[in-house]
Amino acid sequence: MATTNWRTINVDLLDPESPANFDISSLLSTIASVSASEVQTLSSQIKQLLRGGDPEGALRGALENAPYGGDAQAKEVHLATVVETLQSIKQSEMSPMLSRIYGSEGGPETLDVLMKYLYKGMSHTSQPSLGRSSLTPQATGFSQILSRGGGEGGGQAMSVLLSWHEKLVEIAGAGSIVRVMSDRRTV
Amino acid sequence: MASPDVHHLFHHPITDHSFSADRQTLAVARDNNVELYSRSGNNFTLQDELKGHDKTVTSVDIAPSTGRIVTCSQDRNAYVWEPSPSGWKPTLVLLRINRAATFVRWSPSEKKFAVGSGARVIAICYFEEENDWWVSKHLKKPIRSTITTVAWHPNSVLLAAGSTDAHARVFSSFIKGVDARPESSVWGERLPFNTVCGEFLNNSAGWVHGCAFSPSGNALAYTAHDSSITVVYPSGPDEPPNAVVSLGTQLLPFLSLIWNGESEIIAAGYDCEAYRLRGNEQGWQIVGSMESKGRPGLGEMRDESALNMFRQMDLKGKSKDDTQLKTVHQNTIATIRNYDEAGGIVKKFSSSGVDGRVVIWST
Repeated sequence: MATTNWRTINVDLLDPESPANFDISSLLSTIASVSASEVQTLSSQIKQLLRGGDPEGALRGALENAPYGGDAQAKEVHLATVVETLQSIKQSEMSPMLSRIYGSEGGPETLDVLMKYLYKGMSHTSQPSLGRSSLTPQATGFSQILSRGGGEGGGQAMSVLLSWHEKLVEIAGAGSIVRVMSDRRTV
Repeated sequence: MASPDVHHLFHHPITDHSFSADRQTLAVARDNNVELYSRSGNNFTLQDELKGHDKTVTSVDIAPSTGRIVTCSQDRNAYVWEPSPSGWKPTLVLLRINRAATFVRWSPSEKKFAVGSGARVIAICYFEEENDWWVSKHLKKPIRSTITTVAWHPNSVLLAAGSTDAHARVFSSFIKGVDARPESSVWGERLPFNTVCGEFLNNSAGWVHGCAFSPSGNALAYTAHDSSITVVYPSGPDEPPNAVVSLGTQLLPFLSLIWNGESEIIAAGYDCEAYRLRGNEQGWQIVGSMESKGRPGLGEMRDESALNMFRQMDLKGKSKDDTQLKTVHQNTIATIRNYDEAGGIVKKFSSSGVDGRVVIWST
């Protein structure tokens, strides 16, 4: 008779009380929105710190002002800034710097943000590696495929991120990874 | 510190456990049944099984003074079990939920119990004399997701609940005719049913695994999946809390926690061991693990002869047996509970977990 397969109907969508029809963001703390130009300004400030020989200040500045409320483009820009900062820090300086940040006020949270950027950076190792994308702007999807195929520049960025990851887990522990997975404020 | 008292009951996860008031009977939830163990000497032997649920039992609680056992299960039912000459007699509770029941606890007065569920409600159940059955009233608003845990305030009216919508909430579960009017506290003065006395969210919004009121009831601690413990000190009704202290740890998330006095919390979870935390409104710190490292008996179990070493290398390609964790529990600890406490000070607590062990620790 009826040809509808009742078992495949998503009953939750028909129930007005259902969580599927509920906007979860109304439960969470509100995040101020950030415009792309603000992120650009911040990025140039951080680069200035970096040139001025203060990589720790640059890293802190970048992590403490993570643009949770920004759009995808703003987040990309900030990711590039963070990765560039990370790449400019010497391997031998990583652990002492992380310990100093961890011990400071609000430090553990800052390191959680760093962990978020490490994972985000690893999830697409495309543009930040050589600053190539800033010279030849490409659609993000396209550049991702390119670097996965080519691998060279991406691999270098990846090894930097991996060694940061190793050092960071030593100091902030597995809890930091769990927080990245459970946190709804994405970078 | 005395060494922990380990009881390896079976090779199967224990979702929840509860001791009777005299500590002679132990109820553990295993699959669809609840097994009752009685103490004989230093061991626990299987005494009885409570069969009735047809899906996994999620929680079990023995009322200390009446001895009634309440169980709840993924089959959406809860039973109250009472001893009778012919064995334990179950009474079905009318929960009126359409999703699994996840967590159940008796109120300190033992006249009510609270059942958390996946149907975004907490059923507050009480006994109705006229009809001779357990009925429920629902705490609904503003829960947006599955309730994972509940905890009672000492006054048996206030109830804390943790949910997968990342909030820990404090509700009033006042039921006319069952409860005496509660004294006003920091949580509120007038407390009709379903009053929301507090709603707390931590920064990274991980879902809540466990919660507990401090012995005085004037502070609430909860642990969430972002490896954090948050302690809330309320200041008064309709006012922002005095302090909300959130501690992000370096460890894996905690699943369960208990208070030991007003300034100490014991918490355990995915790291397979229990940790002690100390603090106050200014801040909380992890003091250390409850396990004494380098416990005797751990290394000695292995035969350290050269023959054995080469045999192990031949058999397994390595000389060290690293399949055992260094902790007493060999897997996640799901529940910790007070075992021996007086006046809010815990002398002993018990833990159970996925490895089928129930362990009694002295603090």
